[in-house]
Amino acid sequence: MSETNDQKNILPDAEIDLGEMGCGDLIIALMKALKLLKDGQVMRVRSLDSGAQADIPSWCRMRGHVFLAGPCGENNEYYYIRKGGCT
Amino acid sequence: MAKFMVSITHAKDNSDNATVGFVVANASAASGVETVVFLTTEGVRLSSKGYADDVHEEGFAPLKQLMADFVEAEGKIWVCSPCFKKRGLDMNNLVKGATIVGGAKVVEFLTTGGSCITY
Repeated sequence: MSETNDQKNILPDAEIDLGEMGCGDLIIALMKALKLLKDGQVMRVRSLDSGAQADIPSWCRMRGHVFLAGPCGENNEYYYIRKGGCT
Repeated sequence: MAKFMVSITHAKDNSDNATVGFVVANASAASGVETVVFLTTEGVRLSSKGYADDVHEEGFAPLKQLMADFVEAEGKIWVCSPCFKKRGLDMNNLVKGATIVGGAKVVEFLTTGGSCITY
């Protein structure tokens, strides 16, 4: 699996692999992972869940995080989130 | 703009509910309201191409037609990710207008002014 060229310009501070985790389980795991970061730091998330492309940007909007990038091709499973100040 | 969600939890196990859900969704979409049909639990089966082709409740248009009308009226179909996965359905066989989503997408819709009715 690969990353897009745009994603390669983003330097993450931390990474988490959420595998096939989805829906509520995915969101709880994201919340716990982002709590470990400082505001402004970037988390790279690997997710194989088909709902993640819709869910992760929604969750970022609700929690005040910045959704930097996500999959834009078939062979891509990485998401980049910059932590906001609302968690 | 108002937002309206119709949550459908049935497929051929209760084709009356599945059909009426789309009838109401069509009334909403055709009224210019941003409308989402959320297919969840057994309802996710409706997201597979061909599945609804033989569903025709007495007194209503065929379900296939109702679903096509809904998409034509700019309605969106959201399909519950874990429900879809649990049933081993094929992501490459989704009906037009359908997108796989998880809980966060639904929560955002409903907590930013959306209303919901469930069938």
